[in-house]
Amino acid sequence: MPRAKDLDTVAPDDFLNSTLKSPLPPRPIKKPQNKKIKHLHQSSNGKSHSAQFRQNVYGILGKTKHPFSSFLVKPKVFNFRERDTDEEIILVLRRHWITNLTWILITLSMIIAPILLTTVPLLESFPPAYQFISIIFWYLITFIYSFEQLLSWYFNVYIITDERVIDIDFNNLLSKNFSEAKISMIQDVTSTIIGVSQTFFNFGNIQIQTAAEVPEITFEKVPNPEIIIKVLGQLRQEEELENIEGRVK
Amino acid sequence: MEIINNYILLATKFIFLLGTLIYFIFALIVVKQTTTLSRSVYDKFNSILIIFSYTHLVFSFFLILLTFIIL
Repeated sequence: MPRAKDLDTVAPDDFLNSTLKSPLPPRPIKKPQNKKIKHLHQSSNGKSHSAQFRQNVYGILGKTKHPFSSFLVKPKVFNFRERDTDEEIILVLRRHWITNLTWILITLSMIIAPILLTTVPLLESFPPAYQFISIIFWYLITFIYSFEQLLSWYFNVYIITDERVIDIDFNNLLSKNFSEAKISMIQDVTSTIIGVSQTFFNFGNIQIQTAAEVPEITFEKVPNPEIIIKVLGQLRQEEELENIEGRVK
Repeated sequence: MEIINNYILLATKFIFLLGTLIYFIFALIVVKQTTTLSRSVYDKFNSILIIFSYTHLVFSFFLILLTFIIL
């Protein structure tokens, strides 16, 4: 028959005499479960596992070299509309800067083109006013071409937060695609580096297989794929530990 | 021959005006796009990009005026 371990408290099968009262005040009910969870959160040196994991992650990532970098570690200014209030942005990625080289070269050749055209009498049949307007129009088109390419690079971002992996795509003028997957939903991460330029400048694609609604998220032409894989590994471990400990954000 | 040349120039002027008008509408869409994207993703250089898009809009408007006045 179960008995109360603490003799000052009353077991359910104790005989109760209403006239006999204990001289001591009743002890407050303890909540040992909370203490246990708190103890689990603490490691031997007093730091929480979460903080340790985060320290490891930032240790792997290093620091952002310059504000135009396509590898922004813990950016201070960066934000996005779908962000949760307590969500921490760990890494923001854009395509490697070398991928911009094609459109930069095209822009340069477009700038030079009217100068080269002076050697070829193509516009000479038109009056000078028409020639002038044509050249201005050409330079505006050159500007908007390079500007659109810049926008495409700048606003196509891949974000890794402490909770999820996000891919924001702006394909053309009026189309936006937002994909996300929880870190805990990630099943497999693969990186692909193909070709001379990707090997030389260390960038490539990362395929993230998920158990979420979006089966795969691809980070295209991002720098340092091996570092990103390590970071995702650390974050997955952290999530697994949180699940074991029963912590839910 | 001169009459034909005049007609060709008139047609070219019309094409230029139509082209610059379409371009102005395109510039408006670019401004709208830049501001919308800036609201979705915020970073350090958003304001510079918005300034660029508005500058481009102003230039495209001047191009319409220029086409109308010069040609």
